[in-house]
Amino acid sequence: MVDETKSQKPRVGVYICHCGTNIAGSIDIQALQEYAKTIPNVVHADDYQYMCSTPGQKKIEDDIKEHDLTGIVVAACSPRLHEPTFRTATKEGGLNQFRFEMANIREQNSWVHMHDREGATDKAKDAIRMAVAKASLLEDLVPKSVPVEHTAMVVGAGVGGIQAALDLASSGIKTYLIEKSPTIGGRMSQLDKTFPTLDCSQCILTPKMVDVGRHPNIELMTYTEVESVEGYIGNFDITLRKKARGVLTPTEAEARGIVGGGCNGCGDCEAVCPVIKPNPFEMGMAPRKAIYIYHPQVVPLIYTVDFDSCVKCGLCVDECGDKKAIDLEQEDEFVTIKVGTAVLAVGYELFPVEKKTEWGYKRYDNVITSLEFERLICASGPTGGKLIRPSDGETPKKIGFVLCAGSRDNTGIGKPYCSRFCCMYSLKHAHQLHEKIPGSQSYLFYMDIRSFGKMYEEFYYRIQDEGAKFIRGRVAKIEEDPINKNLYVMTEDTLLGQPVNIELDMVVLASAVQPTEETDHVRHLFGVSQSQDGWLLEAHPKLNPCGTTTAGVFLAGVCQGPKDIPDTVAQAEGAASAASIPIHVGEVELEPYFAMCIEEKCAGCGMCIDLCPYAALALGEKDGRTVMQVTEAKCKGCGTCGGFCPGGAIWMQHFATPQIVAQIDAFLLGGEQ
Amino acid sequence: MSGKTHQYAFFLGCIAPNRYPGIESAAIKTSKNLGIDLVPLKGASCCPAPGAFGSIDLKVWMTMAARNLVLAEQMNMDIALICNGCYKSIWEVNHKLKHHDELRDDVNEVLKEIDMEFKGTIDVRHLAEIYYDQAICGPAKVADSVTTPLKGVKVAIHYGCHLLKPRKDREFAVPEVGETENPMWMEELVAALGAEPVQYRNKMQCCGAGGGVRGYDIAHALDITNEKLINMNEVGADAITEVCPFCQLQFDRGQIEIKEKFGVEWTMPVLHFSELLGLAQGMSPQDLALDLHGISCEPFLNKLQ
Amino acid sequence: MAKAKGYSDENLSVRLADRYYRTDDASPDFLKNVEKIGMTIPHMCYQCGTCTGSCPSAPRSSYRIRKFVRRAVLGLENDSLTDPDLWLCTTCYSCTDRCPRDIAPTDVIMAMRNLAFKREIVPRNFLNTVQFIYKTGHGVPNNDVNRAARVRLGLEAEPETTAKYPDFIPGIQKILDHYGLKDKADEILAEGQ
Repeated sequence: MVDETKSQKPRVGVYICHCGTNIAGSIDIQALQEYAKTIPNVVHADDYQYMCSTPGQKKIEDDIKEHDLTGIVVAACSPRLHEPTFRTATKEGGLNQFRFEMANIREQNSWVHMHDREGATDKAKDAIRMAVAKASLLEDLVPKSVPVEHTAMVVGAGVGGIQAALDLASSGIKTYLIEKSPTIGGRMSQLDKTFPTLDCSQCILTPKMVDVGRHPNIELMTYTEVESVEGYIGNFDITLRKKARGVLTPTEAEARGIVGGGCNGCGDCEAVCPVIKPNPFEMGMAPRKAIYIYHPQVVPLIYTVDFDSCVKCGLCVDECGDKKAIDLEQEDEFVTIKVGTAVLAVGYELFPVEKKTEWGYKRYDNVITSLEFERLICASGPTGGKLIRPSDGETPKKIGFVLCAGSRDNTGIGKPYCSRFCCMYSLKHAHQLHEKIPGSQSYLFYMDIRSFGKMYEEFYYRIQDEGAKFIRGRVAKIEEDPINKNLYVMTEDTLLGQPVNIELDMVVLASAVQPTEETDHVRHLFGVSQSQDGWLLEAHPKLNPCGTTTAGVFLAGVCQGPKDIPDTVAQAEGAASAASIPIHVGEVELEPYFAMCIEEKCAGCGMCIDLCPYAALALGEKDGRTVMQVTEAKCKGCGTCGGFCPGGAIWMQHFATPQIVAQIDAFLLGGEQ
Repeated sequence: MSGKTHQYAFFLGCIAPNRYPGIESAAIKTSKNLGIDLVPLKGASCCPAPGAFGSIDLKVWMTMAARNLVLAEQMNMDIALICNGCYKSIWEVNHKLKHHDELRDDVNEVLKEIDMEFKGTIDVRHLAEIYYDQAICGPAKVADSVTTPLKGVKVAIHYGCHLLKPRKDREFAVPEVGETENPMWMEELVAALGAEPVQYRNKMQCCGAGGGVRGYDIAHALDITNEKLINMNEVGADAITEVCPFCQLQFDRGQIEIKEKFGVEWTMPVLHFSELLGLAQGMSPQDLALDLHGISCEPFLNKLQ
Repeated sequence: MAKAKGYSDENLSVRLADRYYRTDDASPDFLKNVEKIGMTIPHMCYQCGTCTGSCPSAPRSSYRIRKFVRRAVLGLENDSLTDPDLWLCTTCYSCTDRCPRDIAPTDVIMAMRNLAFKREIVPRNFLNTVQFIYKTGHGVPNNDVNRAARVRLGLEAEPETTAKYPDFIPGIQKILDHYGLKDKADEILAEGQ
């Protein structure tokens, strides 16, 4: 810990970046440069337009040799941007990369004090002085490499999770694909057709679903949830809760010694089950039994018992017979796995649009949501693909589509964001009506038509050409005729400047989307943040949309923000690629901010052990004494133990007490008076 | 909250005391039977009418309303009132001045000239929401106070506008009261009287009188009223009830004016909820000065079983 | 500013008048004043039409609340304050209740009405209300038919308001005089004669 360079007097080089006008516009760089020269331990001070550029970095590299520097300070942007850049430059110059300290005089200074040049410059002087004080005391550190488990996990098996799992598995990585519901497929399985190609959704998805089911590198675990997450990138210890399905797969049956047993999806059990419940796959518009599958194409084709509604009559067990596939006493099982990286693809649900009472959802029979429409128009849905009015089973002829239902809403009830794909699916719905119901007329009530993607505007053109009527006005309210249950949609045609009152047979609300109820819990398990709008937070919206700020955890699909299937699949591929890199490299470098025990000072009291949030500390024997020992791979350098140790026996590498005290002293005691 | 529980300073407004005094009399007597004491608020003025006055100058509107509030503050008593328009002026200005220092200071600058100061120490409630609040009364208690149930009649409820809207600028002790698209709480109160509340098209639409429109373009206002009458009549309503004397005026005198101007004849009795409650508690039409109504209440009274 | 045609035939100059909106048609402080007086944010309007779609006056007149909000944003002060439709808003607040951008269009109208009054543009009925309140404290004062009815009901002839306690009226007048309201109302009413 104490090395020779410390006995040598510190020689610090200071580099002040103009960052174009980002910093130079608010701060007097010349004054900083001159001031830097006067700071103790500074032997070289320079400034440059863009320090992160090649010539900028070269200055650091060359000056280390030329001026025999022991520490580097760059006063520029946030370390979150270029700390790695300048650390590399430091290393290239022959100095240990951790002898570099950055002073943020942009995000924390020039950008927020744009109208106070004098104040901003003074503040920058303080920041540089503090950075120099620390840089004078920095030591050589060596990053620790840890091996990466050659396994990945994908949470959520909608099209995003399926794609991510296929890519990871195909690149040679064993991948656990976890899905909370009894089948994979997610929302895409529920759709009838996809825009703009009008492909049958399930038809294009099932090949991928089957691939997942068959892939030698994918272990598919449906009806399973993540129970806990421990560890860190490369070495996640995950506990999974395999919910009690009540039904054995052939493999599980074999393991129990039942020959030729296990569920084969025959459905005999379902036929005799006396309990009827709404089927969530059909948005509650069709029944399922207490022992059920969502639909005939489920993967895996294994029945599930809903123990919340099962009355344990045992009729299914009898009917199953020799296959002995049903175990009504089955309990949840916990399984622990070790993975190197994880991808979260946990999808979305619809905003409860009944909260926007002006549109009458759940009060008026013939007002439905877009997902309900998908199931009704789908040939494998509850009505065999016939769109009917819930109130009387009649075929509607005049149908309205309410766009932005609950989106772009700043009232505090709806969502302030745009849900992105509703314009496109509403166009698709209008097309489907045009195709299936001759003589029907669709009305789309919109504020904007956001047809942003490839072939999307052309699709809009087509739908308008097919005769759908577009009324530019956000629906103010919907009234219901008490007798025939028709709906009166009221808004203004803003293009005509005329209030309209349109009588319709049926109305479809393009409801806003929101994260699922479970997302908040899952993200806490993985330590993933939430954006301002509630969706999962990416590492950087432009430059790192698939990553998170938690190393080793990646995002795919709508859980990161509303997006259509093409973007979901693209992001899933991106997430899989990013998640595979540490695994293929085989090791991952951890930043060496570890706690370190100064054994001469350690009394072996053990009080720090329980304080560590990462269980990284333990007491051990060393040279006949009991002292604290750190498992560096688990240590995050949080400083809890270091701040607590009553004997001052814990050294927080790169954030050591003398280094921090030096910064404080430099701020309070240094500086021009 | 200030003063004794269930005791309120009674803010009268203008139209009830000066055109439909039966509402005032009924409110006092029926509230007494429900354990609510409406105490005289000495020296109150027009609230002032939020539409008519606020259109001229919002600052003056706030100052005038604040003066009324200070009278109650001086009594150390919360205010109860019986008119949606007054509710907007009195409740909303109370709320605004409590939460915006600059507004309060501006208003107090002027009130200083008459030795008054708004302190923000009392609360304001509409009598109808007090009746609905189980903490003080509640529909069951209202039902218990009924001696002559209003059986055999269909009553269309006009909620009016300023009590509930806009929901983002309202705060009710009982959250259901705040629903603006399809509230059903007044239906519970009407049902408690023994009458049958009926739903009708566009029940939350304005009566048309507000914002000075009744004075500015009476025909326009009446056309709005007429639409409501058509919708209420469509479901066979025997009477209209509301909790705003200005709406009452618009519906009541309005039917006479509609006949004059549009040649359309209506005979739909219009009764403030306090008048209905009075009838249900055994007050006579004379006790309620129903003879002052423009449209005779006889058909309604005769239909009662 | 509209370019004048200056044709020899005045009628043609009028019929063919330049209709362009130009940036100098914007009254510089109009939006700011409307937002200050109305305490709302019309500049956030995205012209969805929910307001007009909710309005009881729209289906029976040319009044379009959405257009008034548009005018506020574009600074069209004159068009706003001289449009007789400004006075057709019943202040039912349905638009405000439903606006997805959390604007109070009703309060935009109220602010414009306040500004119109300052310009002495106001329908007479509003001024009559001011007069009644100044004289009696009530917008709808008591009358003899009512007094008799009150007494029959067992109430006092005058309610417990300024009607019974006219000594509160000078205080009210002081408030109105502080803002110069009565004088302004008198002035406008006189001009109208």
